[in-house]
Amino acid sequence: MSSQPISPQKANILVIDDTPENLNLLSAMLTEQGYKVRSVTKGSTALRGAQASPPDLILLDINMPQMNGYEVCQNLKADFRTQEIPVIFISALEDVLDKVKAFEVGGVDYITKPFQVEEVLARIENHLAIRNLQKQLQAQNTQLQQEIRDRQQAEEKFAKAFRSSPNPIAIATLAEGRFIDVNPSFLSMSGYSLEEVIGQTTAEISLWTDTEAIAYILQQLKETGALHNQEFEVCTKSGDVKTILLSVERIDLAGVQCALFIANDITERKRLENEFISLVSHELRTPLTSLMGALDILGAGQLGTLTEGGQKVLSIAITNTERLIRLVNDILDLERMKSGKINMQKNKCNAADLLAQATEAMQAMADLAQVKLQTKPFAIELWADPDRILQTLTNLLSNAIKFSEPGKTVWLSAELKNGEPQEHRTSFADTENVSQKLSSPSSQPPATLLIAVKDQGRGIPGDKLQIIFERFQQVDASDSRHKGGTGLGLAICRNIIEQHDGKIWAESTLGQGSTFYICLPITHVVSG
Amino acid sequence: MNKSILIVDDEEDVRAIAKLGLEMGAGWNVLTANSGQEGLSIAASYQPDVILLDMMMPNMDGRATLQQLKANPATQGIPVILVTAKVQQSERENFTGLFTGLNVAAVFAKPFRPLKLAKEISEALGWI
Repeated sequence: MSSQPISPQKANILVIDDTPENLNLLSAMLTEQGYKVRSVTKGSTALRGAQASPPDLILLDINMPQMNGYEVCQNLKADFRTQEIPVIFISALEDVLDKVKAFEVGGVDYITKPFQVEEVLARIENHLAIRNLQKQLQAQNTQLQQEIRDRQQAEEKFAKAFRSSPNPIAIATLAEGRFIDVNPSFLSMSGYSLEEVIGQTTAEISLWTDTEAIAYILQQLKETGALHNQEFEVCTKSGDVKTILLSVERIDLAGVQCALFIANDITERKRLENEFISLVSHELRTPLTSLMGALDILGAGQLGTLTEGGQKVLSIAITNTERLIRLVNDILDLERMKSGKINMQKNKCNAADLLAQATEAMQAMADLAQVKLQTKPFAIELWADPDRILQTLTNLLSNAIKFSEPGKTVWLSAELKNGEPQEHRTSFADTENVSQKLSSPSSQPPATLLIAVKDQGRGIPGDKLQIIFERFQQVDASDSRHKGGTGLGLAICRNIIEQHDGKIWAESTLGQGSTFYICLPITHVVSG
Repeated sequence: MNKSILIVDDEEDVRAIAKLGLEMGAGWNVLTANSGQEGLSIAASYQPDVILLDMMMPNMDGRATLQQLKANPATQGIPVILVTAKVQQSERENFTGLFTGLNVAAVFAKPFRPLKLAKEISEALGWI
């Protein structure tokens, strides 16, 4: 069956009538209109012909010997090759029952003889047009069904990808982080069932070990639309903590702004990393113990005295071993800080004490370098890790002294900036997120402590002011040889200060000196 | 004040250096053990005044040795100082937290300076 639309002038019509005169009349009439006509006198011939080469329309007489029109029509309708061809009966029978039967057997029209040529032609045209429309409709249907199948296949493809992905995937609302859908990997990682998760927010199932995490993620999404490869810790149903590498994208699902979370469980990798760091610590520090100890003992002189030359050489060995120990400490420190293994142990401490301790610790070095150390302390309570802040201050002082010429001065000072200290309550488990929870928001900007370490050294070029806080970056490549230092000190300082929600930066004038600033938020601690 | 001390560490050089440092530096009587197992039997037999215990040893590690020392009435009362390469001096207090209930007297970090060891141990245990 051709699906091409039939152009009326080229339509193919089969005429069936046992009377040759009628046949000729109809045939002539149709041919004149441009139709292609086949004429047969017998029903059986007509059927064979129609099956072999289906016409576009059939004109069918009723009263015929052997097989009458009704039977022919029934046969036509019973065969899939011919069932859709419109059949118009042409007959002398005028009775209503005859007409009804014609329609019953599947005819589309009934013309009584004698007929008017114009009428026959009009009806034929009409039914050909209808047949065209039918064909169009069928073609469209077929196409639509194909499209639906294609869509379903595509849908299935993506649904399968979502369902079978080894990565935990979750879709949640952007507004609240409320779960819309999660895949089986998510459920198996988190230990929850689908019912327990859908409709809940990530906070409601206590997913994040850091409760601020989701707010941070959603904020990032709203601002930039994406978050890539950041580490977070999540809590499973059974309370296990897992580390994930998370990427999030903002997507629009039927008008609702959503977040697509894709995670990578790196708990095992982190565990191995930590084990590695432990192993490396041990493997490096154990021989250093023997080495340092052996040199110390030689230096003590009780295993025989060395000549002056020998003592000098020993001194070099000791200095460099000490330097190696510091380097190992710094590297491991930084590595552990970056992998989150070192938490700041914050408590109440006083800025004045810290400054005094730092000064005391560096006095000997300053004296040796003939550098004057001037401290202007400021007594204010701080919520910080005193050992780590001290480490930062001594590091900055050490740098300042190293890069100062004899006779110069290094200043260490602290002052309060901005408004009133914010009130804060401690909770029994709370050591980390202290500065984020404010019981009563103040209308003033939060108070900050500004610490400055100022020197009169050679200064730092403007384009290096940021980079010196990176690992192993020193202003001058020769510095590490001449001035000592591991090149990690400022990187460690920055890590420490950032973990206190503070800022550290440097300002400098070449040839005149530099000032390193530390800014720490002050929270007035109220224990509760 | 001639104290006796048992050093438990699987590294031969570390034992040798520590022993020299304590003998030369403070005249202490130094016993050594190269494993947790050996440490347990020497401690029980000789009852030193203090045990210096390395944390990272193969087979029986520091933690297991410590548990056994505290479980044995013969060695329960001997103060134990843990030595670890895992942390720096400034983080020793955090490390102790991992051993609540096991009565650790102190935690020392590696590398230590052997000539200063006697003084540091005495300070940690309140002997001076």
